[in-house]
Amino acid sequence: MEEKRSIGDGVWYLVLLAWSATILFPIIWIFYGSLKTNREFFQDVWRFPETLNWVNYSKAWNEYGLGDSLLSTLYYVGASLVIGTLLTALNAYVLTRVEFRGRKLIWGTIMLSLFLPGINALVPQYILMRDLHLTNSLTGLVILDSIGENVFFLMLLAGFMQSLPKEVEESAFLDGASLTRVFVSIMLPLSMPGIVTVAIFKFLGLYNNFLGPFIYLSDPDKYTIGVAMYQAGLKMQFSADWVTLMAGVSIAMIPSVLIFVFFQRWIMEGATLGAVKG
Amino acid sequence: MSPGFGLKGSGSMSKPATVGDNPSAHRHGWLKKTNVQKWIFVLLSITPAFGGYLVFTLYPNLLSVYYSFLHWDGIGEPTYVGFKNFVYMFKDPYVWRALRHNLLFMVTIPPAVILISLVLAYVLTNRKYWGSSVFKVLFFFPNVLSTVVIALLWSFIYDGSFGLLNAFLGLIGIEMGNFYWLGEKTALWAIIPPAIWGGVGFYIVIFVNAMVTIPKSLYESALLEGAGHRTRLFTITLPLISPIIRVATLFLALGVIKGFENVLTLTNGGPAGGTDVIGLYMFNIAFGTGSHDYGYASAIGMLLFVILITSKWLSDKWLPNQSIEY
Repeated sequence: MEEKRSIGDGVWYLVLLAWSATILFPIIWIFYGSLKTNREFFQDVWRFPETLNWVNYSKAWNEYGLGDSLLSTLYYVGASLVIGTLLTALNAYVLTRVEFRGRKLIWGTIMLSLFLPGINALVPQYILMRDLHLTNSLTGLVILDSIGENVFFLMLLAGFMQSLPKEVEESAFLDGASLTRVFVSIMLPLSMPGIVTVAIFKFLGLYNNFLGPFIYLSDPDKYTIGVAMYQAGLKMQFSADWVTLMAGVSIAMIPSVLIFVFFQRWIMEGATLGAVKG
Repeated sequence: MSPGFGLKGSGSMSKPATVGDNPSAHRHGWLKKTNVQKWIFVLLSITPAFGGYLVFTLYPNLLSVYYSFLHWDGIGEPTYVGFKNFVYMFKDPYVWRALRHNLLFMVTIPPAVILISLVLAYVLTNRKYWGSSVFKVLFFFPNVLSTVVIALLWSFIYDGSFGLLNAFLGLIGIEMGNFYWLGEKTALWAIIPPAIWGGVGFYIVIFVNAMVTIPKSLYESALLEGAGHRTRLFTITLPLISPIIRVATLFLALGVIKGFENVLTLTNGGPAGGTDVIGLYMFNIAFGTGSHDYGYASAIGMLLFVILITSKWLSDKWLPNQSIEY
C-alpha cells in the first residue's frame, strides 16, 4: 500500500541529505586540505589546491613517526586480534557445548563483569601491570587486551554455536574424534561467520583503542597510530602546520575506511546482534 | 563512542543451554581416557582467558576499594589514611565542577542522540526514498572512527582563524571574526556536537532494524483508518520499540557518566578546567603530568562506581521493562 508523495517527503529527504553533509563535508574538506600548501590554506580555506601536494603525506609520515607507529599498531592489533579471537572461540565452545563441573560458576563469574564499570579499576590495573613489568611494552598491552573475557563477544559466539546442529558433533565423537579435533575441524569452520563478526569488532576496538596505549606506552617509537596522532595534534598548537596534520589524519583514517568499506554488512549486522542480546 | 559493543543489558541475558553431554561416555572402556582428555581440553581453553579476566579485571576492581583508603604516590610507601580521601573528595570543588559538567552532558547528549537517530531511522524505514540503504551505511561511518581522529577533525572545525565552522558561518553571512569555539566561553558546549555526531549512526542502525521487525499489517490497517505519519509514529512505532529506546538511553547515559576519552582528546579538560569531567579528573590525578595520587584517584573511582551502579539500579527499578506483544 503506497501513500501519495507530499511536500513533507521532500523536507525529510533534505534532512537526510543535510545529515550526510555533516559527515561527508568535513572529511572531504580535510582530504583536499591535506593536498594544499600551508600558504594556500591560510589564504582561503575553501579553494581547491592548485597542485596536489602529496609531499604533505610523506612529511606527516616522517614527522609524526607514522612508520614506526604503523608497525607498533600492526603488532598490537594483529597479535591481540588473533590470540583474543581464538580464546573467545574456545571459551564460547567449551562454555556452551561441553558439560563439566564448575561451568555454571564460571559463567556466573563472567557475568559479574556486566556490573563492573571498569573505570575504577584503571589505577590498580596500572600498578599491577607495572609490578609485572608489562608497562611501556607492546607485548604487555597485547597480554592485557587479548586475555580476559568479554561478555558481548562470548554471547554472540555462544548464540551462534548453539544454533548449529549437534548431530554432526556427536557422530564425530562416536567415530572417536577428540574434543580438540571436533573444535578445529567442525566447530571452527561452521561458526566462521560468527567468528568473523567478532574479529571485525575486535579489530575496530583495538585499532581505535586510545586510552590503553596512551597510559601504558611511554617511548615515542612504541606509540600506536592513535597516540602518535594525538601527540601530533598537541604539537600543532605551536607549529601551525595545518596541511601536514590533515595529511596525518587522512592516513589514520585509511584502515577504518578500508575495514568499513569491505565489511560494512558484517559490521551493521553485528551491531544489531548486540542489541538483540541486550 | 565505540561501535557495536553496545547495549549489554544486565537483566535479560540468558545462559546458553547445554547441548548434549559427552557422547563418548556411552562407551564403557573409553570413559576414563576421554574424561581425562576432556578435562585437559577444558582447562587449556578456559584458563588463559578466564585467568586473565580474574587477574586483570576482577582483582584490580577489588584492589580499587583498598587503594581508596591509601595515600600513595605510587613510588614511596603507601600509608593508610582511612576515610580521609573521601572527606577531601566531598569538599573538593573540582569534583563538583566536574560532576556538573557530566550532568550537563547527560541531559543533552543522550536525548539528542536518541531523538536524531529515531527521526532518521523512521524516515529511512517508512518513507521509500532512493538510496535509503546508502544513507544508513554513510550515517554509520563516524562510528568506526577513533576518538582521536574525531577530536582532530573537530578541532579543525572549531578553530578560530581557519576553522570550518567560522568559514561556513561567514558564507551564510554570520561573521564570527576569530572566535575560537574551544575557548573559555563555548568550550563546554563544543564537547557536545562531536559526541552526537560520532554516536548517532550506531543507534540509527539499531532503531532501523527494530522498526523493520514491526509487522507491515499494523501500519496498513492504520493507513486504512486514515492515520498520518505522526499518528503512526506515536501509536505504533514508538510504543513497539520502546524497550530498545530504554536500553539505548541507559547505555548512553552510563557512557556519558564514565566516558572521558572524547574530552581528553579534544580539550583535555581545558581551558582552565572548563570542560573537565569526573572521569578525566580522576585520570589526571592518577596519570597526569603533575603529582600522582593513586589513593585519591581510587576514591574518585569508587564514587564513580557507586554513581554508575546506583543509576543502573534506579533505572531498573523505575523503568519497568515492559515488552509489548504483537
